[in-house]
Amino acid sequence: MGEMDQMKKEAEGLKSQIEAARKAAADTTLADAASGVAPAPRVQLKTRKTLKGHLAKIYAMHWATDCRLDHAMLMVSASQDGKLIIWDAFSGNKINAVPLKSSWVMTCAYAPSGNLVASGGLDNMCTVYNLKTPVVKTVKELDAHTGYLSCARFLSDTEILTASGDTTCALWDIETGKQKTVFLNHVGDCMCLALSPDMNMFISGACDSLAKLWDIRDGTCKQTFQGHTSDINAISFFPSGNAVVTGSDDCTCKMYDLRSDQEVISYQDAQLNSGVTSLALSVSGRLIFAGYDDFNCNIWDSLKGEKVGVLSGHDNRVSCTGVPQDGMCVCTGSWDSFLKIWN
Amino acid sequence: MEAGKVCSSNSVLQARRAVEQLRLEASLERIRISVAATQLVQYCQEHGRSDPLLTGIAASSNPFKDKKTCVLL
Repeated sequence: MGEMDQMKKEAEGLKSQIEAARKAAADTTLADAASGVAPAPRVQLKTRKTLKGHLAKIYAMHWATDCRLDHAMLMVSASQDGKLIIWDAFSGNKINAVPLKSSWVMTCAYAPSGNLVASGGLDNMCTVYNLKTPVVKTVKELDAHTGYLSCARFLSDTEILTASGDTTCALWDIETGKQKTVFLNHVGDCMCLALSPDMNMFISGACDSLAKLWDIRDGTCKQTFQGHTSDINAISFFPSGNAVVTGSDDCTCKMYDLRSDQEVISYQDAQLNSGVTSLALSVSGRLIFAGYDDFNCNIWDSLKGEKVGVLSGHDNRVSCTGVPQDGMCVCTGSWDSFLKIWN
Repeated sequence: MEAGKVCSSNSVLQARRAVEQLRLEASLERIRISVAATQLVQYCQEHGRSDPLLTGIAASSNPFKDKKTCVLL
């Protein structure tokens, strides 16, 4: 038998082994295990603020970590009008507008310190900006990906993680501008990433319909989660760090438990036939806010898999959602050029 | 070389990587979903009371609601 045939045979054997091990662990589903839990109340949120200022589709938004400073609540948004805007969500005021070299932006991120923001997109680069200089300055252009930048997240002021259409994710040293680690394993464009609460791991979602868990320091893929039948566009950790929630073009969201190494519940509805673009969890993990192509953001009870509310108000696709650290609201951003704050 | 088959060294490398990855993932110890689910439920229950979007926010303590009263500076 040639080497290729041998490896194919071993691969098939290992896949069967993994499937059998997962089946053996699947003694129930999350919904069944949560059958004794009182259902989440119907969640009816109102729009408290509409942030107007972008002139084109909004593609991304990110809350500042310690967002409640000086009675302001900060977040950054990115639009294909070629701007990043830093907003104070309390007042609705624009604190800063950062002009982008390339208007084809797909992601933005706020550093935990609040000193830096980043953006990236079809320019294949991640650009880092300093907000604390008298005029916002470009700190570095991180240039090594051979495909579009779909997502970026800061670990600190000196390290940032990126996900790219070139099928890789990367950890960068911002000071040197070089990639410290490249995470290779996806076979489709990487569309999203999320950091674990303890910052030692991250998860990525890709167009190969897989989600992968990575060890940031040793660069290895630890686990692969299957189940989606199309691109995974959105991903987030459950706040305990033991599970992961994904949103896909297959119109469903799913929760995967890391220690059972498999899907434990799926959030779907026969009437929903729009792709999921974005998602965010409330601070307890009980509520999932998922943005869809059909202009709505549906609210799911994460334990029971039932829809408990909907945020309607945008006139185009909801492209991004985010819940700040204190959990006091949820922000939705849309192709209609507006951001809305709800609670 | 087998009749009719031409394997580029690139596909062999990819196949080797795929097998290595599968070996790593196969060696994982998995816990039963019943155990994992209990812990997920527990986390939600423990933190539910301090989840403003779940419990609701009183108008007086909602920082986004327009206040009509004066604020002490």
